[in-house]
Amino acid sequence: MVLKNIKYAIRNISRPPVTRMYPEKPSELSDRFRGLQILDKSKCIGCGICANTCPNAAIKIVKAPIGPGSEKQRWFPQIDIGHCLFCGLCIDQCPKGALSSGKEYTKGLVKWHHKDMLMTPEKLAREVDLEKGDER
Amino acid sequence: MEERLEPNEMIIHLGPQHPMQPGPFRLNLRLKGETVVDADIELGYIHKGIEKILENKTYLQGITIVDRICYLVALVNEECFVGCVEKLLDIEPPERSKYIRVILEELTRIQSHLLGIGEFAEFIGFVSMFMYAIRERENVVGLIDMVTGARITHSYLKFGGVRDDLPDGFKEKTLSVLNGLKKEIDNFEQMFHTDRIYRERTVGVGVLTADAAKNLGVSGPVLRATGVPFDIRKNEPYLVYKDLDFKVCTETAGDCFARVQVRLNEIRESIYILEQCLDQIPEGPLFPENSLYGRRTPVMRVPAGEVFHRVEDPRGEMGMYMVSDGSDRPYRVKIRGPYYPTLQALPPLIIGTTVADVASISGSMDGCTSEADR
Amino acid sequence: MTVVIPDYIAPLIPWVRGIIGLVLIGAIFIAAMGAVWIERKLSADIQSRVGPCRVGKYGIFQLVADAIKLFTKEDIKPQNADSLLFNNANIFMIGSVFLVLVALPVGAVFINGVEYPLAVTEMDISVLYIEAVSALSIFGIFMVGYGSNSKYSLLGAFRNFARMVGYEVPLGISIISVAVMTGSLNIVDITSAQGLYWNIFLQPLGCFVFFVSLMADMGRLPFDQNESEEEIIAGWITEYSGMRFGLGFFAEYMHMVLGSFLVALLFLGGWNVPGFIANNSFLGLIAPTGFLLIKTIFVLMVIVGIRWVVPRFRIDQVVDLSWKKMFPLALLNLVWAVGLGLYLGA
Repeated sequence: MVLKNIKYAIRNISRPPVTRMYPEKPSELSDRFRGLQILDKSKCIGCGICANTCPNAAIKIVKAPIGPGSEKQRWFPQIDIGHCLFCGLCIDQCPKGALSSGKEYTKGLVKWHHKDMLMTPEKLAREVDLEKGDER
Repeated sequence: MEERLEPNEMIIHLGPQHPMQPGPFRLNLRLKGETVVDADIELGYIHKGIEKILENKTYLQGITIVDRICYLVALVNEECFVGCVEKLLDIEPPERSKYIRVILEELTRIQSHLLGIGEFAEFIGFVSMFMYAIRERENVVGLIDMVTGARITHSYLKFGGVRDDLPDGFKEKTLSVLNGLKKEIDNFEQMFHTDRIYRERTVGVGVLTADAAKNLGVSGPVLRATGVPFDIRKNEPYLVYKDLDFKVCTETAGDCFARVQVRLNEIRESIYILEQCLDQIPEGPLFPENSLYGRRTPVMRVPAGEVFHRVEDPRGEMGMYMVSDGSDRPYRVKIRGPYYPTLQALPPLIIGTTVADVASISGSMDGCTSEADR
Repeated sequence: MTVVIPDYIAPLIPWVRGIIGLVLIGAIFIAAMGAVWIERKLSADIQSRVGPCRVGKYGIFQLVADAIKLFTKEDIKPQNADSLLFNNANIFMIGSVFLVLVALPVGAVFINGVEYPLAVTEMDISVLYIEAVSALSIFGIFMVGYGSNSKYSLLGAFRNFARMVGYEVPLGISIISVAVMTGSLNIVDITSAQGLYWNIFLQPLGCFVFFVSLMADMGRLPFDQNESEEEIIAGWITEYSGMRFGLGFFAEYMHMVLGSFLVALLFLGGWNVPGFIANNSFLGLIAPTGFLLIKTIFVLMVIVGIRWVVPRFRIDQVVDLSWKKMFPLALLNLVWAVGLGLYLGA
């Protein structure tokens, strides 16, 4: 009557559990996983197509120095993590291919204040460390 | 419904928050003891205004919005939207893109049906079945993740093709996952057929006749379980379904047992379709030749016109009616979701049954309330 | 059976029994915690999960953390709840468990080949007393369901009555058939008289009927309509929060532990051991109680495991099962037991 259920359950006991012990073992991400974007400052021309394409208006174009410790400034994108959907449309639409996908999705991205969530071009280009790079 | 309650009747709400619902809706029941005398549904608790949002976004941004109509079957929703726009633009994706789209949509169908079967078994008390189904579903979602980069809201389709090609090693991994899945589906089916308690709870419960289903506009596995062999993949083939060999699964009883059986059979048919696709897929470009449309979508001015396109969602027939006025934003998009008519079939079915059957019947409809409310 | 007691021990016996009683009250709480731990770990194994694993090694102290959490929750009372019923319902449920503990033997020691059962009292009608007192918890559940003034609790309480009335009868009849075959209503006598031929081999049908009726009595799946989560949220205990809920929850698990004890004592041979172990002075002290505990834990695991692998009945199917199938089977078993008893006696 219910014997097949019991047999299946007993057979299941011998199989190993499929639980992932987070956070001791981090979760495995696929190769195409879309995390925080990486900016290549040498290719970006500041056209603003990424800002127009973003469905949530999370990208703003701001002035930023072109390298660490440089005086010259150009226009670069700044992404608001609180609004970003991680859809990847900005990466696809960039005419010069300056944006690509990184793999960060929690480390360094979870902040208390909104102004820390605005990922400046320095953070996007990974010139400063994401976890420690706050102004305060 | 509140007027004139008899002395031994009461009204309870299987309300917006309930452990058994797949999404928030309010079901008012008028009970006499344990028997349902009258029933009423109220929707609208998860209305997001998607149709209005789509009027203010460009077509490319609309793909990410349409993803979120029903988050479990996001790729099928994208297919409906992208199909509409491709009809207006009069472009056609090449063969390889069509095959990739069919592969991903069938994988989506498999994982949605697995979740539906697991949830239904949980609603009648068989909690472990939900965990067994989720364990199988994880492998399938991992496959989709390998191709699109996300598990749930993919934004993977583009106008004229798909965003990325299939990765290396996809075919071998898919075939091994599907072989394991075939054995597990056989196990599930045997468990359902031989379990006496399960049969008592589902056979003869919530019988929907074919005429009532056709009158209300119900579609999908619920309609096919009443004996009507209507499947958009056969009646109005889109993509490459006319080159593939599969059969439409029907049952004649129309009760809860038949609906679950139809879903199990559909998983098997989807596995067969996937094996054919992986064999037949041709090499080639992902986007049409001599066209501006590629992975980077150009500035779009869609010619003015109206078009209607429908696809076979795992829950039924999904359709979109799009009106364009020549600019880069749609003028109006009307979405016809598959779960709204199925939910309207629920109150007549549950009158006369007990409260325990309400859970069983509404679980076998396998719904996503987010799609009914949009 | 008569036990020879030396004279110098006789005045101390009431004190010994009192101390055993107090120890049992503490032990039953710990046993209920162990039962919940077994349930969570076994269900996790069946479902390919890892159960509690963070508090203590293998999650043994998870229940301590849960009890602390329950103590610190806000005590919510619905507005029109009946105070008398609402506040005192838990007392009935825990009280019925403690009253059963009065007569239930939890082991035995063999000193010089003579058997001393570890029980607080030894009544001549202890089996009847145990069954009658364990049925008091119906009142507790109904008080909870009716006094909460909520429609979901009411549905749960009514389903409870329909179920309990149907299953008390086969339960009683199967106990009577065991008593008839043994010739006594004293649970100590029934257990000792089994020797090495356990009652499950002599009355398999009786064991099956008793087991199914016991699961229905305790309210375990597939018979837990009164608290089915998917239909009526939490059934009879919806409006209870904090430690009130904790007491009801614990009472259900204590009832489960006591039920497994009953099955082990009446049908699985209790503490009977082969003669050579009984005459051994060291093993005679610990082996019989150890065997009884092993059998109890086995029955407990079966009861816990069945919950997670079968669906749930509808309430009219439950009533149908009890009157049309369990009751005739119980009567058949009674006839069989009477016949077998006469044959063995002759």
